Amino acid sequence: MSSLELRQIEKRYGGYRALRGINLRVEPGEFIVMVGPSGCGKSTLLKSIAGLVQVDSGEMLINGRDVTKAEPGDRGIAMVFQSYALYPHMTVAENMGFGLRMAKRPRTEIDAAVGRAAQILRLTDQLDKLPKQLSGGQRQRVAIGRAITRSPEVFLFDEPLSNLDAALRTQMRVELSTLHAALGATMVYVTHDQVEAMTMASRIVVLNAGSVEQVGAPRDLYSNPVNRFVAGFLGAPRMNFFEAKIVEARLGQVSVETAGLGRFAMPVVANTPLAIGDTATIGIRPEALKLVGNRDGAHFSGAAQLVEYLGRETIVYADAAPLRCIGSDTGTGNVTIHLPGIAQLETGASLQIAFDPANAYLFGGAEQRTLSAPKTI
Amino acid sequence: MTSIWRRQSGWATPTLFILPAIILFGVVIVLSSLQSLWISLHDWDGMGAMTWVGLDNYRELFGDPQFFVSLKNNLIWLIIFMAAPPAGLGIALLVNQQIAGMRILKSLFFVPLVLASVAVGVVFTWVYTPGFGLLALIFSAFGATAPALLSDEHFVTFAVVFAALWPQIAFCMVLYLAGLNSLSSDLIGAGRVDGAKGWNMLRHVVLPQLTQVTFIAIAITAIGALRSFDMVSVMTQGGPFGSSSVLAYQMYEQSIFSYRFGYGAAIATVLLAIMAVFIAWYLSRIIRAEARS
Repeated sequence: MSSLELRQIEKRYGGYRALRGINLRVEPGEFIVMVGPSGCGKSTLLKSIAGLVQVDSGEMLINGRDVTKAEPGDRGIAMVFQSYALYPHMTVAENMGFGLRMAKRPRTEIDAAVGRAAQILRLTDQLDKLPKQLSGGQRQRVAIGRAITRSPEVFLFDEPLSNLDAALRTQMRVELSTLHAALGATMVYVTHDQVEAMTMASRIVVLNAGSVEQVGAPRDLYSNPVNRFVAGFLGAPRMNFFEAKIVEARLGQVSVETAGLGRFAMPVVANTPLAIGDTATIGIRPEALKLVGNRDGAHFSGAAQLVEYLGRETIVYADAAPLRCIGSDTGTGNVTIHLPGIAQLETGASLQIAFDPANAYLFGGAEQRTLSAPKTI
Repeated sequence: MTSIWRRQSGWATPTLFILPAIILFGVVIVLSSLQSLWISLHDWDGMGAMTWVGLDNYRELFGDPQFFVSLKNNLIWLIIFMAAPPAGLGIALLVNQQIAGMRILKSLFFVPLVLASVAVGVVFTWVYTPGFGLLALIFSAFGATAPALLSDEHFVTFAVVFAALWPQIAFCMVLYLAGLNSLSSDLIGAGRVDGAKGWNMLRHVVLPQLTQVTFIAIAITAIGALRSFDMVSVMTQGGPFGSSSVLAYQMYEQSIFSYRFGYGAAIATVLLAIMAVFIAWYLSRIIRAEARS
């Protein structure tokens, strides 16, 4: 078990700043998941930790030892690649033992380490096969076995499950969590899949445009995102955003007005930069919206445009004009509603929708910081 | 009409597509090889009537000391040419480094590829010229006199092979450069994480990914050594006294200069038989590789 510390890590590609002053401290035994949209720098950061990418400035410490300039093989890390990157001409056993062989360890020690890893990953019967004779899931386990054999201080995973089919991915997710518990090792895991992030992480690091947006436990990040980006990135289906105007500002509370939503009061943090007349963004998670029976209790009404039945949940996309969602993926302005169970709704059905203003978020200022009062978990 | 076409198109379409290649291959390769074999059983001056002599041409060939000189020279070509794939790999590894100025160096290594081999032969003939050639100048700088390589029966074949090696190395370098560009960066990364450096990286991670390229480089170099003709023709015409001749050149000389087409065809047939060994090896590997994938 080892700690990992990143201090002011910078990486440029020509004029493009891929990593902008990354600071992060990973405690021994933590499972850190780095998420972010494509091109946010998460893979570059992982490869920098591995030493496969040379950073321009900043420091990197593993267990307090400066490894900023160290060769990948001397850092005490092991990496599992998205493409598995197994040596195609070596058997499973040779693949897993290659690191120790390069370190000139005695034959008996290599065999013992490979045997142990194979047992953990149920690969004992496959040791003499070549990678091409294995299934995708088995290859993935060999790649993990290769990492285990080196008994590294820090494990690095670069989107390891994205080449597997959905069922296998769920299974491997559980296996990786179990493995982490069994080894107690420090792991850094990169993914774009937020289910992987939410389920496996001790802490999630959300990256955007080469910077860390927020670091925290999955539940914290979900309930109390620091800004609109994190709020929009975590959670599927995505949070609904509406443009609003501040019509009243008092200490700890503002009133906002939105076309279609009317006016309502929200608790906010103590020192908001908001003044009357400012525009801000209201965020409401799809699961915070409820269908109500009549117009009296409703905040707004709409018509179901598309209904997706997922079995234990139903997702409704509603046209609630004049209320329009901003920044949605589809650009339709439809409001997303996430209902438990099977909701018997026809396309075109008229809906009365309500929510608790205490569950809504308010984002404002130049960086769209979260200004609504923190939610209790 | 259409229904007949539909019923037959299972085999008709592929046949139609393969037909042009089959016809071309049949006329240019198979038919001319067979005709060459037929001619080799005759005495023929190229214009007059052909006289059946059976295996006489072959009997004469195996008693001809010049044939064994040519055969030995072909063997020398083959052995020395085998330096081209490793040398090409070495240069490819060198110019593949991300260092400023490597592009210029890389294009310099490309030069012999765009030169006609006749031009390479002429250039090296100048280099070897006693008195004022580059080699003579280098030797005189050290106060020595350069041997007249192209008129020395012991050195001449080595001098010609050395000249021919230059474009062959460049060709292998291009093959390996293409191979190096298609290396999996993840595999290299995995090797680095596993602590493989320098020779270990080359031996255990890089070279195994280049086996197909190596195979092609060796096969093409071997066949190139066996069919060598142009450099000999330009630099020595097989001289002095036939000591630098190779089978392909001897065949040409017998047929064109001595009007002995039957005898020339017999040499060609022997050459084809030798090459068939390499071609069979090449084909069997390719067929096995295709069966695997």
